[in-house]
Amino acid sequence: MKPFQYLAPIARFDYAVPNDMTELLNILHEYGSDAKIISGGTDLTIALKQRLIKPKIIVDLNHIRGELSGISVENDSLKIGATTTYTEIERDQHINRYAQALSQAASQVGTFQIRNLGTIGANLANGSPAADSAPPLIALSAKIKLRSKQGERIIPIEDFFTGVKKTVLCPDEIITVIEIPIKNKTSSSWMRFAKRNENVISVVSVAVACEINQGTFGESRISLGAVAPTPILAKESSFKLIGKTISPETIEAAATAAKNECRPISDVRGSAEYRRHLVYVLSKRTISQAANGTR
Amino acid sequence: MDSNRTISISCTINETLISRKIAPNQTLCDFLHDEIGTTGVKKGCDTGECGACTVLFDGKPVTSCLVLAPQIDGHKITTIEGLGKEKLHPVQEVFIAFDASQCGYCIPGMIMTASAIANENPNPTEEQIKRYLSGNLCRCTGYQQQIEAVKAALIKLARGT
Repeated sequence: MKPFQYLAPIARFDYAVPNDMTELLNILHEYGSDAKIISGGTDLTIALKQRLIKPKIIVDLNHIRGELSGISVENDSLKIGATTTYTEIERDQHINRYAQALSQAASQVGTFQIRNLGTIGANLANGSPAADSAPPLIALSAKIKLRSKQGERIIPIEDFFTGVKKTVLCPDEIITVIEIPIKNKTSSSWMRFAKRNENVISVVSVAVACEINQGTFGESRISLGAVAPTPILAKESSFKLIGKTISPETIEAAATAAKNECRPISDVRGSAEYRRHLVYVLSKRTISQAANGTR
Repeated sequence: MDSNRTISISCTINETLISRKIAPNQTLCDFLHDEIGTTGVKKGCDTGECGACTVLFDGKPVTSCLVLAPQIDGHKITTIEGLGKEKLHPVQEVFIAFDASQCGYCIPGMIMTASAIANENPNPTEEQIKRYLSGNLCRCTGYQQQIEAVKAALIKLARGT
């Protein structure tokens, strides 16, 4: 993090408040990368103050928030609007029931104030390798719906991130909905390690979602945050669970695989070696929690 | 669509309807402090970490340094000035009774956060109170009096006194 200083005034920009989706997509089409969408503002406002970004126009979703937020269950999937806040996610009974890992992550992000502002779509669009909402969504096989003037596309969330602060989102596109398939036998869990309990960036986070079939793991996915240029799906580790008996040995094997397939760097929050160790420990804990969890 | 270097907003600030043209390149914190004159809104870190600038946005506590001023169009903002207009809010009364303020800079923000806890959870554990207050840093007190004050305030609010 940069040393703090009182910052120069925020540079000037035009400000647009589109009244509907068509108007929004036209603005994004016209301005492309000169436009920035503001949702909760928790990342964007700081980037503006630090002059890390210099948009010609800021697009405010105030008038179309109704269309872009909220949580519903439709056709065996949970649909979460892109501008749904962490507070709304944390409190939602469907998410609590079918996507515990996401519920746990949402309840730990930032502070009370930040959770009232920050939104899930913007957390993903920001593309941080440490984004806390990403590993739960990857583990839960979420799909993300992107929309532009040209049309709509739906992509698996693990294919969304391409590098540090980089995603497949085009400048004229907006995330509209995140969809999580509802699987009745699937149990999920998320944990992180950070240097204090609150308002902190994760050193490592781990999410797991596994199907539990009479003492064995069915379809299972483990996802790791803050240990690679993007949040990742730990494929080797996930394979170590699928079809295996739920036992300390199985969990140990998956945790060891996770440790071996992550690609952490050393930074102010921890060394690469320490992060690998945390991946191992947190993988064991999250898998155990999910395996014991009665949904 | 409204697209310009100034933007018209209408919002309710401390129960007063306000309509004006504002520059969009300012935070809600600066707007409230400098333009509206609600100087109880304090700027601490200006990065959403310290909570001194906390106000209620449609009843929910937010750090006003992370909100752009034009985002409040059509919404309701409450600052410490609007919390206890006629008489002190129960949270303010107990903060005084428990000597929960020392230098006082963090207190308006902390009281705004504390005033919202009852809506979230009228009967929180001490651990939960600490979590609610974790976005309000105080470098004087060590937090003990404030946690005790919040407990007392919740009892007061539950009794309706």
